[in-house]
Amino acid sequence: MKRILPPWVRPRTLIAVAAAAAILAILPLVHGNRYWHNQLTETLLAIATALAWNWLGGYLGQVSFGHAAMFGLGGFIAGRMQVSLGVPMIAAWIVAGVIAGLYALVWGHPTLRLRGPYFSIATIGVGEATRLICTYWVWLTGGSSGMSLPVQVQLKYQLYWYALALALVALAVSYALRRSPLGLALLAIKSDVDAAGDVGVSAVRLQDLVLFLSGMTMGVCGGFYASYYSFIEPGDMFGFARSISFVLMGVIGGIGTIAGPAIGAVIFVLLRNSLIATYPQLYLGLYGLLLIFVILFEPLGLTGLYVRILRRARPDLGVTGMAAEESAVPATGAGAARVEQREAK
Amino acid sequence: MGQVTDLAVSAILLAGLYATMAYGLGLIYGVLRIVNLNHGGMIMAGAYAGWWLHAQFGIDPYLSLIPVSALAFIVGVVIYRLLVRRLPRGAAGGVQSLLLLFGVWLVLRNAAYLLFSGNDQTIRTPYSTRAVSLAGAFLSVNRFAVFAIALLVLLALHLLLTRTYLGKAIRAVAQNPDSCTLVGVPVERIYALTFGLGTALAALAGLLAATLFSFNPDFGATELLKSFVVVVLGGLGSVAGTAVAALILAAVEVFAILALPAYLTAAVGFVLLVLVLVVRPGGLFGQRVLG
Repeated sequence: MKRILPPWVRPRTLIAVAAAAAILAILPLVHGNRYWHNQLTETLLAIATALAWNWLGGYLGQVSFGHAAMFGLGGFIAGRMQVSLGVPMIAAWIVAGVIAGLYALVWGHPTLRLRGPYFSIATIGVGEATRLICTYWVWLTGGSSGMSLPVQVQLKYQLYWYALALALVALAVSYALRRSPLGLALLAIKSDVDAAGDVGVSAVRLQDLVLFLSGMTMGVCGGFYASYYSFIEPGDMFGFARSISFVLMGVIGGIGTIAGPAIGAVIFVLLRNSLIATYPQLYLGLYGLLLIFVILFEPLGLTGLYVRILRRARPDLGVTGMAAEESAVPATGAGAARVEQREAK
Repeated sequence: MGQVTDLAVSAILLAGLYATMAYGLGLIYGVLRIVNLNHGGMIMAGAYAGWWLHAQFGIDPYLSLIPVSALAFIVGVVIYRLLVRRLPRGAAGGVQSLLLLFGVWLVLRNAAYLLFSGNDQTIRTPYSTRAVSLAGAFLSVNRFAVFAIALLVLLALHLLLTRTYLGKAIRAVAQNPDSCTLVGVPVERIYALTFGLGTALAALAGLLAATLFSFNPDFGATELLKSFVVVVLGGLGSVAGTAVAALILAAVEVFAILALPAYLTAAVGFVLLVLVLVVRPGGLFGQRVLG
């Protein structure tokens, strides 16, 4: 085992994830419930998007309020390629993902160079500008009336397993971007760009890499969304609410942690489908209050809560275990330094 | 030729509004090192406050500038005391303050949707449609009024920051809060006041904008971005820099109408931002802190 895997992969984690994936893979064959099948597919897609957002917002500390831009772009490019050019679905997703990733680089590369909040502010504009341009770009998006893809019932059922694969890939990338030596470099960039540069970490290249990966995953997820729902329109795909949902899933679960956003996505989908569906006129305010409360009382979201409970229940353990390690990371530079020390040992 | 003068004059008039809008954002960032994402929310709130006072009680929007700004000042102080103060300072606090203030903005937006619906609103006064001719161009009275008020506000701010003890304290805190504590400047109070001042400016700018444009609960997002463009272009807190930067943004936007379809002009400010960030990351005039 040791020889096949890189040293930063824990066999135990790998086995746990593989087991969970296997259960999820056979689950639909067991329950056969169409409602839950749909819910699970939505959740898996949400997990993939939340994790992709977290690579930027959590690992690099560059919060994006406009990730719907890449999601929407990916959706419409994938849709257009299938409808007008007859490209096979998977190929369309991949091309759409690459284009969405490149698009993220176009505006993200210059704004990520700067310290401070420039990137975050820029994302507000990017989201809005992309929505406007794409709404008027009728050839690509079909304008306000949207775009329809051929409905294939059998395919829609099968897409569950594609979503599972997508979420697993995103989780694997999340794990690698945190635990591998590359993850240490990202931590260093987040804590102190100058110091990172001094020890030979190229912030420019790594930030661009993460941005591209994040944008590309968003694009693929958008493509998946288009195939799954067979109908997409710019107001929804590029919508502000969609951008906020990515932020919220990350914040609920714990920004900067490996699995936090995935858990946040599960909670978010449940929340949206129950609470928000009942009070549609209150969703913005509820999202806002949720953001305020989590940031004020538990900045690391559910992961932070979990660590706090763990510490109280088992004080003898001290600050060990995977969750504690993750939680120590994003909050302070000191936490990051602690983790680096541990990894060095 | 006539068209060019028309556009130039309207660019100058628009610049006054942009400068006022941006100054509050720059002030808060300069002193607290926090980007007030709720800036957009307060712009929207100011617009609705003026509209509501006009629609309900027939109060002239220019008269309601003072009560609306005063109220927004209090709101700002409360937001600071209740929420922002609890965040950690430094790099980690940066992300958290963004998310927190974004949350406040969402709540405000939702409140506006509930109270006033999502329809576009305008403030219509008897002089809304009146225009005066200047150098052969017809320009609305409102635009001149907004410009004049914006100039007054900027002048007052400049005097406040340079000629009063409070202004001196604000500038000192912007430079070094630790030393201020040592010499007895009440840093926390200055923070609260600055946050209130910036918030009041946002609401004031929102109300001014509402006399010119229609608005809805989503109003403020583009305005926030424009404010940010001006802050980046003009440096932090320099009144002259802010004015020049606002003029540049307004001119680029106004003249873009000649070349671009209308829906694309919203993206112009953003493209300008990216260009400036690439060419001069420190802003056009370098990073100067307040003064």
